Amino acid sequence: MTATGVAATVERRPSRNRDGQQIALVDLLDRLLGTGVVLSGDILISLAGVDLVEVRLRALIRTVREDQERP
Amino acid sequence: MSEDPLTRLTTLPHRLETDPETVQRDLMRLVLTIVELVRQLMEKQALRRLDTGDLTDEQVEALGTGLMHLANAMRELRERFGLSQEDLNLDLGPLGSLLGD
Amino acid sequence: MVAEPTRPTGPTGQTDEMEETGHGARGRYLYAVCRGLDIKELGGLLGIGEVLVEGVEHDDLVGLVSSVDLDEFGEEGLRRNLERLDWLEMAARGHDAVVQAAAAVAPTAPMRLATIFRNDDGVRHRLAEQQDRIAEVLDRVEGHDEWSVKVLTRQDAESEKPAEAPPSSGVEYLRRRQEVQRAREGDRRDADLVAEQLHEALLGIAAASRRLPPQDPRLTGHTGTMVLNVAYLVPQDRSEAFTAAIGEFTQRHAEVLIDARGPWPPYSFATLEDQ
Repeated sequence: MTATGVAATVERRPSRNRDGQQIALVDLLDRLLGTGVVLSGDILISLAGVDLVEVRLRALIRTVREDQERP
Repeated sequence: MSEDPLTRLTTLPHRLETDPETVQRDLMRLVLTIVELVRQLMEKQALRRLDTGDLTDEQVEALGTGLMHLANAMRELRERFGLSQEDLNLDLGPLGSLLGD
Repeated sequence: MVAEPTRPTGPTGQTDEMEETGHGARGRYLYAVCRGLDIKELGGLLGIGEVLVEGVEHDDLVGLVSSVDLDEFGEEGLRRNLERLDWLEMAARGHDAVVQAAAAVAPTAPMRLATIFRNDDGVRHRLAEQQDRIAEVLDRVEGHDEWSVKVLTRQDAESEKPAEAPPSSGVEYLRRRQEVQRAREGDRRDADLVAEQLHEALLGIAAASRRLPPQDPRLTGHTGTMVLNVAYLVPQDRSEAFTAAIGEFTQRHAEVLIDARGPWPPYSFATLEDQ
């Protein structure tokens, strides 16, 4: 891990500077959308353009505490 | 599309578009993501049990060996399908935050 | 991927002032409200869809608008489009371009994404109705910039970690995993401490701050854990002091990653919420 010089530590850039630097999309969306960007856990699997299976990954996975262990 | 990290998500689609050739890889990625999630949960829980100190030496050794083999098996499977650890971070909603924690 | 807009029950569009009048119906997209802006200063600025940005005036306020297709921006259209990352990017960049251009020449209060009106009368009505609130917001942000400061733990990507000799027993495997977990927890606690100290220091310079939720690393490309994500409203004549404070912290705390960016328009401090 390298130590950077003081001058380089803060990215001082207005939204579109000479290098075309912009506000990162995730930061922009966090501010423009009420609740920012949320990833949903559903996946739709399609084959040859035909939607076939919807996977809802909200299954509850529970860890087993020591008092619940089967004898 | 820009180079923004957020747009990497377009390669992890909400909709898994599969054609017959890529079916195997796409589905494998989905499967491995879930298996990896469970593996990490198991490891976390094993470490908690290790902390509480209520396991015998034999149990600790057996758990450790089993988890080690699981981790190796996962690494091999990933390599076989050309997937990195980061590739397995498909969004899993409320479960997703457990991955890579 | 679902993106949730401001109101949980619907898109941010002003649906009560808008009807689905069939294909080809147009609406007015409101980007921001400015004070004392002469639209000519924007020099033919184009908004979303490369359409000319125009001004709707009320007293000293100017609402910046452009025409949009209600197929795309009406309630149905938004419901579809807000879930598409490529559409979101297009809309957000177009919106930001207008806000940036305006903020460079006049005090500007940005709207949230997709605030749509049926026509200019609707916009003018909104400006009149909210005039006092808008004035408060503009007073607050005039002469200020937003800066974003994030603090993260440092963590290598899995692929970058050096390979080790395999553990010689199951117990050793678990011990190593325990070590990794404890190191991570320790890093997290240290980073939290640095973050709070940095925040305190910056609060002394900024006019206001707003804590934002940590961002999902899958969205940002960071490998570490985000322990601080704050937007600061900084007077322009204090931006040197602000960046100097961050620079000093960065030097003293190389064990964390401090990601500071700006100056930006005051998105987090001026966005006019729906009443």
